[in-house]
Amino acid sequence: MPPEPPPEDDRPNPWGNAAETQTAGPTAKRTVVPSESDSAPAAEQFNCPNCGGSIEIKAAGLSVSIACEYCGSTLDVTNPDVSIIQRYEGEVRKLELPLGSRGMLRGTEWEVIGYQRRSENGRYPWDEYLLFNPYAGYRFLDTDGRGWSFGEQLTASPDKQSLVGFTLNGEFFQPFYAQTRAQVDYVLGEFYWRVAVGEEVLTADFVRPGKMLSWEHSGNETVWSLSELLEPNEITDAFGIPPAKGGGLPLPHQPSPHRKKAGQFMKLALAVAFALIVITSLFGGTSDPQTAQINLSTNGVEQSAKVGPIILDRARQAVTVSARAPGIENSWIDLTYSLTNRDTGEVFEANNVVDAYSGRDAEGNWSEGSRYSSSKFSMIPSGTYELNVYAAGSRWTEGQYGSSSNAQLEVTIEKGATFYSNLFLALLFVFVPAIWQWWKHLSFESRRRSDSDFTGDDDD
Amino acid sequence: MIFRSPALPARICDYCQATVKRIADGVELAGEVAVLPFDVSPIQIGTRGEYGGKPFDVIGRIRLGYDQGAWNDWLCLFSDMTHGWLSESDGQFQMVIERPIAETNSDLIQHLAQGGDAAIGDRTIIDGSEFTVSDMRSAKCIAAEGELPFAPSTGWDVFNVDMRDEQGFSANFEREEGEDSGFYVGRYVTLAELKPHNLRAIHGWKMPDYAA
Repeated sequence: MPPEPPPEDDRPNPWGNAAETQTAGPTAKRTVVPSESDSAPAAEQFNCPNCGGSIEIKAAGLSVSIACEYCGSTLDVTNPDVSIIQRYEGEVRKLELPLGSRGMLRGTEWEVIGYQRRSENGRYPWDEYLLFNPYAGYRFLDTDGRGWSFGEQLTASPDKQSLVGFTLNGEFFQPFYAQTRAQVDYVLGEFYWRVAVGEEVLTADFVRPGKMLSWEHSGNETVWSLSELLEPNEITDAFGIPPAKGGGLPLPHQPSPHRKKAGQFMKLALAVAFALIVITSLFGGTSDPQTAQINLSTNGVEQSAKVGPIILDRARQAVTVSARAPGIENSWIDLTYSLTNRDTGEVFEANNVVDAYSGRDAEGNWSEGSRYSSSKFSMIPSGTYELNVYAAGSRWTEGQYGSSSNAQLEVTIEKGATFYSNLFLALLFVFVPAIWQWWKHLSFESRRRSDSDFTGDDDD
Repeated sequence: MIFRSPALPARICDYCQATVKRIADGVELAGEVAVLPFDVSPIQIGTRGEYGGKPFDVIGRIRLGYDQGAWNDWLCLFSDMTHGWLSESDGQFQMVIERPIAETNSDLIQHLAQGGDAAIGDRTIIDGSEFTVSDMRSAKCIAAEGELPFAPSTGWDVFNVDMRDEQGFSANFEREEGEDSGFYVGRYVTLAELKPHNLRAIHGWKMPDYAA
């Protein structure tokens, strides 16, 4: 809503026409505070026409209204004679950043010259300090107790994007707070516009990590500003006050503290996974294959064959035994392997199967099973070994044992093995911390967004 | 009294505030303007800088005020003897250069030049870009100093319309008592990008590194 214009008799006339601007009530003359150096003076001084307190105008020539820091009365400083707009006799608030405080922020020294307490009809209050430097102009310092943001009024309007948000300098801002009314609840200090308690503006906010783009509209004026979330130590280093206490939900533009870690963990996990896969394929793998052919019938009768001898020279190593029966149909072959150390008689056993079934049902042709299988022996001590293979084939068709047919089985023994299951476990182990970090990141983001008027939007 | 710019007809005396106007065979007194009220502007007569690759000197200023505040229009004389205005308002700067009104296709500017009205939010195309009227006001000349393209006098009424586009370009329209309307196009600038020298030293404030 446009602010109410001041009553006709209170309306200050343009400067330079002092004779006509005398309004009822006391006024005060202002004088330039003499400079103590060769430089130009930096301030004007006057005594509050309401309480008599000594007030300095820090942004002389720019300031339009002042709320007296002693009595809180709002004063008009657009004329040579300072006049009262609104008297106030209440207690003046003590500010966390007192007027006149100076601090270096992002490479520039700023003086606190104004303070506004703002809210949405009394709810969600926040403090807004006006900062000034004659060479750098104005900045805003905002806090709602969870952190401090450093803002600047923009001279260009952001571009509206089809994704509902806005871009500014190539950065996309997501909508966060929809259009709502914000009001001024309390003012102190000097401003380059007409401040008035109770004045309302429409606001909307758009965010990206670390930054907030704010829109304010009142009457027929639209103002865009961009603020950046300060690190907690920046406000302490600049003004010597403790950092915001924080707590509650994350700030709308607070970057996820887990995002970086999640990214780093994921990168690390991917690097380790890649290394593991490379190592497995380099050091895995097999050598010195020896093969035996077994002819058998799928009649359930066990056949046996010997493969080897195979000489294992390392103290401990893996051995892979694979079986292949390319021609079997609706049959299976049970396999028993027994790897025997010729010198010690130590025996290592394993069982496996090759099978192949196919048929046709309501859903069409189907087939299952595998005509190839492999068994891995790990940690076999050195020695000369031979492999006994016991194979028994059976045939199954139409829900019953079928007539036997011939089957060719090829069994190969090789040194070494590739343990994909171990690799899988290792990868799982490696990815768990990364996934945990991502989960923390995503849950932070969901808490951050929970306060938004646009929570349905999950796009990043 | 020295005139820095051969093209500019008016100069305000540094000592007595008299406005002196050049005529064919010399100068004539053209009135008097008020003493500038104190302000903390970092610009002063004699500030030098660079804009669009051209060096400039600040040689004059006119201060305008209205019920919501006041602003400075600093006259900048470029090395090629053309001039521009560095407008200083709410701590932000824009450099604008005058354009002949007859050469603009903007209906809004033509309408304003013929005495018409505008409203905040009105849109118009200038140089192929869409500008929006962001502010308009009736102001009065409060004071002036240095050399100027016209002979100002205190209390002089100026109707001023501000337009801006989405990229930070700005345009102004000005209608003054007894003068031709003025149309100015430029953009917002930071003090730093003007590479200024001889900024005004202000007590208690460090001169920025870029101007040291």
